[in-house]
Formats: sequence, C-alpha cells, structure tokens
Amino acid sequence: MTVLLRAEHASKTYGPLTALRDVSLTIDLVRPSITAVVGESGSGKTTLARILLGLEAPTTGRVLYHDTDLRTLSGEARMTFRRDVQAIFQDPYGVYNPFYRVDHVLTTPVRKFRLARSAAEARTLIEAALRAVGLRPEEILGRFPHQLSGGQRQRIMVARALLLRPKLIVADEPVSMVDASLRATILGSLRSLHEELGISIVYITHDLATAYQISHNILVMYRAGVVEAGAVEGIVTRPEHPYTRLLISSIPRVSTERNWAGEAEAVAARSAPASGCSFMNRCPVAMAECAEAVPPLFRTAAERAVACYRYRTSPELAAADLGTVLVGMYEAGSRAAE
Amino acid sequence: MSGAILEVRDLRVSFDHPLGLVRAVDGVSFSLAPGERLGLAGESGCGKSTMALAILRMIGPPGHIDGGSVWLDGTELSALDDEAMRRLRLAGIALVPQGSMNSLNPVMRIGRQIEDALADHNVSLPRSALDARIADLLSTVGLRPVVARMYPHELSGGMKQRACIAIAICLRPRVIIADEPTSALDVVVQRQVMETLARVQRDLGAAVILVGHDMGLMAQFVDRLGIMYAGRLVEVAPVGRMVTVPRHPYTRALISSLPSLDHKGGLQGIPGLAPLLRDLPSGCAFHPRCTLACDRCRSEAPALRPMGENAVVACHLAETVA
Repeated sequence: MTVLLRAEHASKTYGPLTALRDVSLTIDLVRPSITAVVGESGSGKTTLARILLGLEAPTTGRVLYHDTDLRTLSGEARMTFRRDVQAIFQDPYGVYNPFYRVDHVLTTPVRKFRLARSAAEARTLIEAALRAVGLRPEEILGRFPHQLSGGQRQRIMVARALLLRPKLIVADEPVSMVDASLRATILGSLRSLHEELGISIVYITHDLATAYQISHNILVMYRAGVVEAGAVEGIVTRPEHPYTRLLISSIPRVSTERNWAGEAEAVAARSAPASGCSFMNRCPVAMAECAEAVPPLFRTAAERAVACYRYRTSPELAAADLGTVLVGMYEAGSRAAE
Repeated sequence: MSGAILEVRDLRVSFDHPLGLVRAVDGVSFSLAPGERLGLAGESGCGKSTMALAILRMIGPPGHIDGGSVWLDGTELSALDDEAMRRLRLAGIALVPQGSMNSLNPVMRIGRQIEDALADHNVSLPRSALDARIADLLSTVGLRPVVARMYPHELSGGMKQRACIAIAICLRPRVIIADEPTSALDVVVQRQVMETLARVQRDLGAAVILVGHDMGLMAQFVDRLGIMYAGRLVEVAPVGRMVTVPRHPYTRALISSLPSLDHKGGLQGIPGLAPLLRDLPSGCAFHPRCTLACDRCRSEAPALRPMGENAVVACHLAETVA
C-alpha cells in the first residue's frame, strides 16, 4: 500500500475551542476511493479539510504527504503536493475575482505548473477540461463570473482541479449552494473523474443522501470527533451511532410516508457536556458511563467503527487505525494488474 | 374557489432588462384554503420567490406587477393604498424571507426587533405586558426568554430562523409565506425548524405557502404542491399523488434529481439549463429539456387542465407520462 496523504492523530484547537479531536485518515495512492465526511455545522469537517489541504497546521498530530510532514515540505515537493492535492470550495461566487474573466482561474494553474508549451496547447487543455465536466468552452471562456450561473462556476472549479490531473480532490461542500438538479450534475462529474481517472475524493458535506450516492466510505463527525466510520452502505442502511440515526431519520424523503414524527424538537441541540461523550445530552439512550470519558472507537464489523459505549463488547479500534475500516474502490491486486 | 383564505388570479410580474423584458411570473393562479399548506417548488430562477414577493406587493424597480389580482379573505390587495398594504403585511400575510437569518438587524437585540414589528403595527402595550408577549412568542418557537436580550450573532442558524418565525407570527397572520426557510441549515436543524413552523401554524390556524426546491422537504411538509417552470405553474396536485404519480415530465425530473437513500445510482440532474426568461423557447418552455417532446410541444404552449382529483397539469402528454 502506498500512501498519498495521511493524517495522524490530527487535532486542532482555537483557544479553548476544540475544532478537531484526534482524527487519523489515510488516502491511498493505488486504491483511490471517495470518502465522505458528514456532520453538522461546527462538527470539525471543514477544519479536517483545511488540515488535509495544508491550509492549517494541526495543533497536535501531523499530516504526511508521501511520508513527509506538510510543515516541512519545501521547494519542489511542495509544488508537487500543490498539484497532487486540489481543493474545491463551497462558494462558487467567492473564489472568483469579479474583475477577471473566468479564464483566469484556468490559465493560472497552466502557467504556474507549466502544463503547456504554447498558448494553443493551453487552450486545448482548458477546453478538454471544461468538456470533461459537461461545459461548452465557447459558452464559458471570455465570460466574467457574474455572467455565469452558480452551477457553471462550480463546474469550472471542478475543471480547474482536473487540469492538474491531481491524485486527490478535497471538495468542501461543493454543492450546498446550488439547487437539487445541478447538485446531481456536479456530483456526477466528480464521480466520473474518480472512475475514469482514479482520482481520490474527500467529499465534505452535511448532506448524507448525496454522500451515500457518490462515496465508498463515510466518516460521521460530531463536535470535533469521528463518531462512526466505514463503508457507506452499511452505515446508511443500518446506522449504529445514535447521532447517525438521528441524521438519517431527519433526511426529508420524497415519499407519502412522512418520516418526520415530531420527536426531533425534543432533542434540540444543547451545549456540549463538560466531559464524556459529546452527544450524551442529546442522546436518547445515554448511560451513566457516557459522562465519564469520551468513548473510543469500537470495531463492530470489518468495515465499521463506532464511538459509542453501547458497542463496547466489540473490540476497541485505536484512533490511528481508523483507515482499516475504510474501503478502496479497487483491490490492490486488481489495480496493479491494469 | 369559495372559502379560500388567499386567492391569486393570473398574476404577472416582469423586470426591465437592457436586452428585453423578463417575465418572471407569467399568469399564475391558485388558491389557498384556511390552514392549508401549499408548496411551490422549482429550480433557481423559475419565479417562485418573485411570486411570493408579488403576493405582498413587494416588487421594486426594475420589476413591476403587470397584471392579475391577489385576494386575502375577500379583500383585493391591489386595491389597497400603500399604507393599508403596509399594515396588512405581517398582520395578514407574514413573510419569512429567503436567507431570513441574515435579514435580522445585526446591531439590535432580538426582543427589540420583535417590539419594532409590533410597534410598527400600532400594538402598544405597557413594558411588562410587552416583555411577557415577547417571551411568549419566543417560547412558542422553542427559544428561551433570554434570547430576547441577545444579538443575532449570538444565535446559531437554527435559532436565528426560529427568531424570524417568532417575528412572522407576532400578529397572528392568516397566511405565512416561508421562502426556503431552512436552505442553509443541516438536516437535523432543518427538521426541528420545520416541526416548529408546523406546530405554530396549526396553533394559529394559519395557512402556509412554502417556497423551495427540495422535493423531500415538500413531501414531508405540505398538503398540496405546485411546480413552477419558467414563471408558470406546470402542475398542481395533492403532494402524495404528486410524489407517487408525477404527471408533468418536469416534476418527474425534479423528483429523480433528488438523491435517494434507498438505492444507489439514481443521481441524475435535469439535462440542460433553465431557459432564459427573456427568451423563452416556443411552445412548451420545457420542451428543449424534455425527453418526451414532440412537434406539438415545440409549437403550442400547453395550458393547465384538470387531471385527476384536485389537480391540474400543463403538458400535452400528461396521459402518457404516468
């Protein structure tokens, strides 16, 4: 197994606030996967994204890129990292400079990473990237950001990431600002990038339904920590952690059976408990021991870990080994045979 | 329809644009029964928010209401003078605007903002009665009385949205229009806020118009659903029938664009883009994106026609869609 990027015991605190608590995550190079990180606002999912991208350094723990700490990356290695690991952010408005034509966000990486030897070659590359995400170059190039829709702008960001042929795309809420139909289109293009080019994706979202549709793995976060992780099918169809259950039962379904029964108001968010499990005071099945210490991860199945004392009969899983419950799209052998 | 609390007839709104007139709402009619929950759904730019604002006569230049009428409990709103219309907003029809959490005044405490709304509608109460009323309103939407003394930045998104609902119901309106009230919230908070809105609405006996694009939210919340496309209603039906047997191809596409939790692989956007409102396609505005479109669809715009009980649809091929 060759590791592209590995977060080891990453924690982040801002003064008294813990934004991320002991999260380890491995992105494999030869077994690309789509991993969703799901949680409510303030759960630490964006902090995790920023740490993986090297935009923030963890307070404790570290992030390794090919065995080198991001903090000590320099020169050429740093450039390769910047090329291998691409970001797509939530706001398809804020990432553009309104005074530049949208071409600017596409020509800059071409120039910076010397992807083309001539202007014509650059143009060919850019047009191919735009077509790959379902855009018509002639409708896009030469325009200003305000002349394009949010969905078009967000797809240009996907095209920009694609230009660099990255190994990993960290997409932080890439579709939360577009409507349902465009959401499906943009996520569809991310999914096909993964399938056709073997790009791994970390998909940060609060939308469990889209996470289920495009990911292999899922990390459910609650107040800075991972509460449940593993293969997406199992978690969505048989959630174990009480928070994951609440999350899934709250998704409004398109069906005549109304799954909102009115109990959610009763478990409205309250302030975090001083110690123990951070979900304790919203939890319908909390026990005395939940107050004593933060529950460790228990491995309830080959591809599942849950941080809840109700599963204490399962073997404990060290936080550093979280990656072992995640699955890759390809088995190492089949990928090597290609 | 008699007995309707709100009736909208042939409402038309357009905006002046250097490249031509943009028809954002193009002849929309519907009625709302007392206590009913009606959804209005469609993609961004279909005119649903504009229509919500037009009902309240809140369209400013370069937009203008070109025709049609809105009746609240037998009163025609377009006949009212500006002052009477101002008094009717909030008291008769309250709006929870899109992104309303950001419509709170950031430098004014929540209690003071509710006071302002009451004062603006000539409710004058002694201090203690006023405080009691504010505390009561806040508790109705699930907020503690202490929130009255807090500023918006001290509240979470869900709490701000509840505060907006408290303001909206402070004069016991008969109709509440909620425009994507939960679009920026995560699913758990969204569910809590919608449950609060449902409870408050039941207690007041008010009717609700919920504007949005999430068919799941509509299925969970409304009684009857209207689908808008390019400024027109293209289908209206009881929500249960709509989600099980959509008659309009656009409705069907909207439903299938929603990611399912039941089976994988259903992630399908609606092909193409919503049309430019100042340059609509001929015939049915949806025909360039419709997989069923035939020659008739390209030349003749379909009118709304009855299709089953309490339902209408504007599609030449509605019989073949189901």
